[in-house]
Formats: sequence, structure tokens, C-alpha cells
Amino acid sequence: MAVLTVTEVHAAGGAPRVWRKRTMRGLTALLLPAALLLLWWTASDRGWLAEQILPHPVYVFEALRDMLASGDLVYHVGVSLRRVLIGFAIGACLGLALGIAMGLSERVEDYVKPLFLAFAQIPTLGWIPLLMLLVGIGETLKIIVITKGALVPMTLNTFAGIRNVSPRYLEVADALRFTRWQRLRLVILPAAIPFVFTGIRYGLTHAWTSLVGVELLASSEGLGYLLVWGRQMFWLDTVIIAMLAIGVVGFIMDGGLNRTERLIQRWKRSEI
Amino acid sequence: MSATAHLAIQNVTRQFMVNSRIITALQDVSLSVAAGEFVTIVGASGCGKSTLLRLGAGLDTGHQGEIRHRGEPVRGASLERGIVFQEPRLFPWLTVERNVALGLENAAVSKADKKRLVDEHLELVGLTGFAKAYPHQLSGGMAQRAGIARGLVNRPDVLFLDEPFGALDAITKAHLQGELQSIWSREKITMILVTHDVDEAVFLGDRVVVMSPRPGRIREIVPVDLPRPRDRTSAAFATVRAHVLQSLNGTTSARDPRPTPADATPVLPRPAPAIAVAR
Repeated sequence: MAVLTVTEVHAAGGAPRVWRKRTMRGLTALLLPAALLLLWWTASDRGWLAEQILPHPVYVFEALRDMLASGDLVYHVGVSLRRVLIGFAIGACLGLALGIAMGLSERVEDYVKPLFLAFAQIPTLGWIPLLMLLVGIGETLKIIVITKGALVPMTLNTFAGIRNVSPRYLEVADALRFTRWQRLRLVILPAAIPFVFTGIRYGLTHAWTSLVGVELLASSEGLGYLLVWGRQMFWLDTVIIAMLAIGVVGFIMDGGLNRTERLIQRWKRSEI
Repeated sequence: MSATAHLAIQNVTRQFMVNSRIITALQDVSLSVAAGEFVTIVGASGCGKSTLLRLGAGLDTGHQGEIRHRGEPVRGASLERGIVFQEPRLFPWLTVERNVALGLENAAVSKADKKRLVDEHLELVGLTGFAKAYPHQLSGGMAQRAGIARGLVNRPDVLFLDEPFGALDAITKAHLQGELQSIWSREKITMILVTHDVDEAVFLGDRVVVMSPRPGRIREIVPVDLPRPRDRTSAAFATVRAHVLQSLNGTTSARDPRPTPADATPVLPRPAPAIAVAR
């Protein structure tokens, strides 16, 4: 009850103001895209750049409408999204497990970390030639590459999160005679959550980067493929649409992550 | 209640390795605490008072000498020995209620009893209305009360308090000192409180242990034979306080004139605020 009272006191006088502020911030966020669109429009109208290089926004919009109507865009987004989600899910789970294992045990760290760091240094795309020879150019290749992209930031951030748990909290756990499991469940994991979310966020970004990279090299569908195809055919409207689609999907995913994080960390002061 | 000391600290020495130099935090310290007694330990920074407390609570065990609690050697933390830290150290991801309940996480009590005990202790420290609040919603004083409730909820035999009111403003501090005293006299739990505040030490302690730094030793143990609750403005209180202060002054000026924070801090395992008690 007390929690409610505290928030009510804060919100009671300011509810309309809070809403107005939120709307204002939403509108502010649109200003820069609008300005860019205007610049693009002007540049095309005035012919600052050749139309083959920078198509007019109206053409792009029409192409977008066609691609939506034919279901092409949804199809390619679907293909890419599926690859990202599967690869990311595997990479994130492995990274979480590996990060926790290395964070908790110095022995695991000693055995695994040096190799892992060397492994992480090799760019994801650098693995593709070797992997192509091993698994071919099918779905497996794409999933493995995306998994690797997500795995590295997830592992490193989870590891850092677990090592950064304040010794003061651990001392409380000692004083209360917590078992190993209680320490992990009640102290270490909750304290590491902000780091884990940073790992998820970077992991997802890397997953997308890897996806586009692998689709550029070896694919006949997906957003990365659209980019390559569009460039080769000089369909710059297609290229721009593929780029926009990646941006929008990434934006939505990041928003979803933010919400989840806030839900899990309700105990943090919510920023108005 | 028994003739032997409840908590017996005998010839305890504790050394730390700091930058490949051995620093003696405690040298040959002996102290006996009777059951139900309230002992306060006061001293300048670096006198090893917090080290002594941590050894007593079993959070640190790298000492020479012997520490016994009810005749059993202290070899690690125990639910029989509660501790309240200088910062409340509540887990920010748990509500106040859940934080206090952590003290019972490993106690052999039923779920219903657990709930009842937590509620009772929240009431004891005056936080009943804040059971569902998160630590960030509490003031410093309220958070420290929750820390005390967590230390008390398991009914430890001895409660160690490490400068529990050090970070609070004077008014909140005086208020909580009064509350702690009434909890102590009601519950009859042995309490050992470390502080750098002479007033607090005299107000709360049956005996005030004055420690001197480098190496940390007990300089004097001053009995406080004043009825409770004590009146800080009485002449008798002032006399005891003056005695303790004088003893403390001796600790810092006699041996080496000016304790530098740089010298004093590494003695403790964690950085302690460098507060000059004497001038």
C-alpha cells in the first residue's frame, strides 16, 4: 500500500503534465527523421544527386506499397527475422550459460576465457569462408553465424555482471549463511541483470549485423539478400526499403527489450 | 547468564598484507562480553574496531588467538550471530518485507511463522506501512531500520552493529539510538556496537571499550553505571563522556602525533572514513 501512496503523491499533481511531456518527447523524436526526409525530398527535387543513386521519396514510397501489396517485403522480413530469432536465442542461451559459468568459477574462466577472447576477436564474417566449406551455404550456416554474433557480447557482459556483484552484498549473503544456490538466486543473478540486458541488446545488434553479412554472401531471400540484389540491379528504392525495414524491426525489438527490462527491474525508480 | 563469558575474545591478533607490508590491525586483544550485555567499542579510524567486530561475527577468520561464542570457537558466520552494517545493504531488487525475510531464509521456521516474524519485526522498527516498498523508496534512517530488522528477525544470540548510525543525520541518529536501546532492553539480546561517536558509545553501552590505533589495541574499558534511559545532558553522563574522550585523546596524541588517513585506511579490509576523533 505504501508503494502506491508514494507513487500517487508523485503522480497526483502531475498526471496531465506527464502526458504532455511524453507527447512532446514523442514528437521531438520525429523531428530529425522529418528533417532528413525533407532534405532527401529537396535533394531529389533539385537533382542534387542522380536519380539512379538517390531515388525520389515518392518512388520509394510507391515501391514500398507494391512490395507490401505483393507480400514480398513481409516475406523477406519474415525470413530474416526467423533467422535472427533462432540464431539469437541459441547464442543468448549459450552466452548466458557460459558467462555464468566463467563468472562463478575461476577454474572455468582459466580454461575457457583465453580461447574465448581469441575467438571473439575474429570478426563474425571472417568465419564464413571456413563455415561454408564445413556446413555449406544453407540455413545452418546462417544460424551458426548469427549465433556467434550474439554469443560473444552475451557471454562477456554476463561474465562482467557476475564479477561485478558488490562484495558488500555477498558479505550479507555470508552473514545470513546462504547456500550456493541461494547466493546465485537471491543475490548474484538479480544483481547481474542490468549487465545481462546490455548483453542481450548488443547481442541482438550483432545478430542483425551478422545476418545482413551472411545474407549478402550466401542467400536468395531475406533483407540482406534484398540489399545485394537491389544494388546489383541498381534498384536503389529496394535498397532503401530493405534498410528501412532493418531499422524499423531493430527499433521495435529494442523497444520490446526496454519494456521487458523495466518489467523485470520494477524495483528501480521509474523515470518519468 | 553463565559464569563463563558469553562471547570471549582472547589474545586476538589480526594482520593484513597491504602492498607486501604486514599491517597489524589488532594486537593481542582480549574482551569478554556477558549475556545480555551492551558493549560499545569506540576508537579513531584505523584502530581495528571494525576488524574486531567482523572477527567476532565470523565474517573474517584469519586471526591468531581465540574467539568463543557460548564456549564454541567461532569459525565462520552463524545465524546465532547477527550483523548490521554501516550501510543498510538491503537488496534493492527485493521489497522491504522480502529483505527482512532473508534473515529467516535458512531458519527452521514454517512459512506462516516466517510471515508473522517479519511483520513483528517490521513493527518493532516502525516500518509496518512500508512492507511492500522497495529500498530506494525509503529514507536513510528507514533503510537502516530495515537493516536492523533483518539482523534481528532470526533472534540471534549476539547482534553485532558496525557504525549502524554513522551515515545518518543527528536527529534521526538520536531517535534510532533510543529505539535500539528499547529493543535491547525488551529483547535481551547481547549487542556489540562499533562507533566513532563518543556520545553514542556512552549513551548505549554498559561498558565502553576504548581502542587505540596502530596497532589496534584496547586502551581502556570504561563502565557506564548510569540508569537507562540515559539523559545526555546530565552531569553524570558528561563525566563519563569526558573520561572516554580523554582516554581517546591519549590514543591518538601520545604515540604518534598525527594519524594520517593514508596510514590509517589500509589497515581495514574496506576503506573506512577517516574521521579524526581527537584533535
